[in-house]
Amino acid sequence: MNSLMRQTKAIFWKDIITETRTRQGFSAMLSFATLVLFLFSFAVGPDTALLTRLAGGLLWVAIVFTGTLSLGRAYQSEELAGGVQLLRLYPGDVRAIYLGKLAGNLVILAILELVLFPATAIIFHVDLLSHATSLIMVAALGTTGFSVIGTFFSTLTVHLRARELLLPLLLFPALVPVVLGSVGATDAFLSGDPLGRAAGWIQLLAAYDVILFVVCVWIFPVVLEE
Amino acid sequence: MSPIIRVQGLTRRFGRRWALRGVDLEVERGIVVALLGANGTGKTTLLKVFSTLLRPTAGRVEVLGSVLPRDQDHVRAKTVLMTPNGHTYEELTGLENLKFATHMSGPPLSDSSLHEILVGVRLENAANTRVRAYSTGMRKRLELARMQLRTPELVLLDEPFVSLDEEGVQLVQDRISDWRSAGTSVIIASHRIAYATAGADRIVRLERGRVASEETA
Repeated sequence: MNSLMRQTKAIFWKDIITETRTRQGFSAMLSFATLVLFLFSFAVGPDTALLTRLAGGLLWVAIVFTGTLSLGRAYQSEELAGGVQLLRLYPGDVRAIYLGKLAGNLVILAILELVLFPATAIIFHVDLLSHATSLIMVAALGTTGFSVIGTFFSTLTVHLRARELLLPLLLFPALVPVVLGSVGATDAFLSGDPLGRAAGWIQLLAAYDVILFVVCVWIFPVVLEE
Repeated sequence: MSPIIRVQGLTRRFGRRWALRGVDLEVERGIVVALLGANGTGKTTLLKVFSTLLRPTAGRVEVLGSVLPRDQDHVRAKTVLMTPNGHTYEELTGLENLKFATHMSGPPLSDSSLHEILVGVRLENAANTRVRAYSTGMRKRLELARMQLRTPELVLLDEPFVSLDEEGVQLVQDRISDWRSAGTSVIIASHRIAYATAGADRIVRLERGRVASEETA
């Protein structure tokens, strides 16, 4: 196994172990996400047809909000251990830090979505099961896009004093294509895709994911320099 | 033999504050250097520059034959740094911390080898305890264990004696002696002058970001 793979696996393993041992953080994120969905449903009101029509958008907004909280936690253990900079001192490619953190964020967000999607189905009265395969594809692409950009910006802001404020300010504009694509594809699949728009959204998501991944991996070493 | 560190006119600025104001220094291979000075004289900054954590603002820095910051990878592969608070993860056990570090450092060592290292720093009974339950002294010992996972050519110790009892201090001093015997250069930045200078070959004093004096111990 080459050093990049070995170090990526080590960082991923360490982050997942840390997350499983601090379960209160994960439970809080899950509660927050469910609460956001409930608040949206209260805001929209008892109109079932409207709730169903808005379900895709509201689900992805809840994912983005919860995911942003999750990104903040990803570097918390590093700060307690003296700072992410110290990981740079291990010999090898520093991109392993990005790839390991990205893998950890992806898994944590995917687990959150395992709860959020069924919760959306219940709260917004939508039938997700009959579109399961298509929605899993959208979730995979949307989650990847979010994690690729989110991991990058959370590293960029890790040493800033107002990071809690700056992270969403930098992240949300960059997430617009991901949110547009994910909401568009989810809505299209939920409505049976009468206009055949889903394929376009999926292509947008896939292209954005690939381009951003290449760019983030390429420039990550510069971001870590002090 | 060429020096392991050669620094000329090194400056480092943080915003408007100058931490280093033109340091000139040469460190020969295989010696122990005690770096002394009051708070804020630039000891930690100097070690961070040598370890590649910080870039110099100006000046020429050559470590292990590589000019920094150009050839950082070569320096990182052969240097270890102990920071005052260590680099260990609270939610992992002592053994898991070493496992993580060995996977990050190179071909990983076996669990039995890691256990032996823990025995060497008297942490064998806390191997499977999470680090958050460790005392500050135990964390320092774990950090010392982490540094033994590699065979460096340059060891940088920032306040290695803080929070350690007499046994812990002896462990650090024994390890420094082992490194020296193996031809590894060691730089110790410390306020505990008696401990830092005990096995040192040279004593360098910093004042206001400059080398104020150098003497052979």
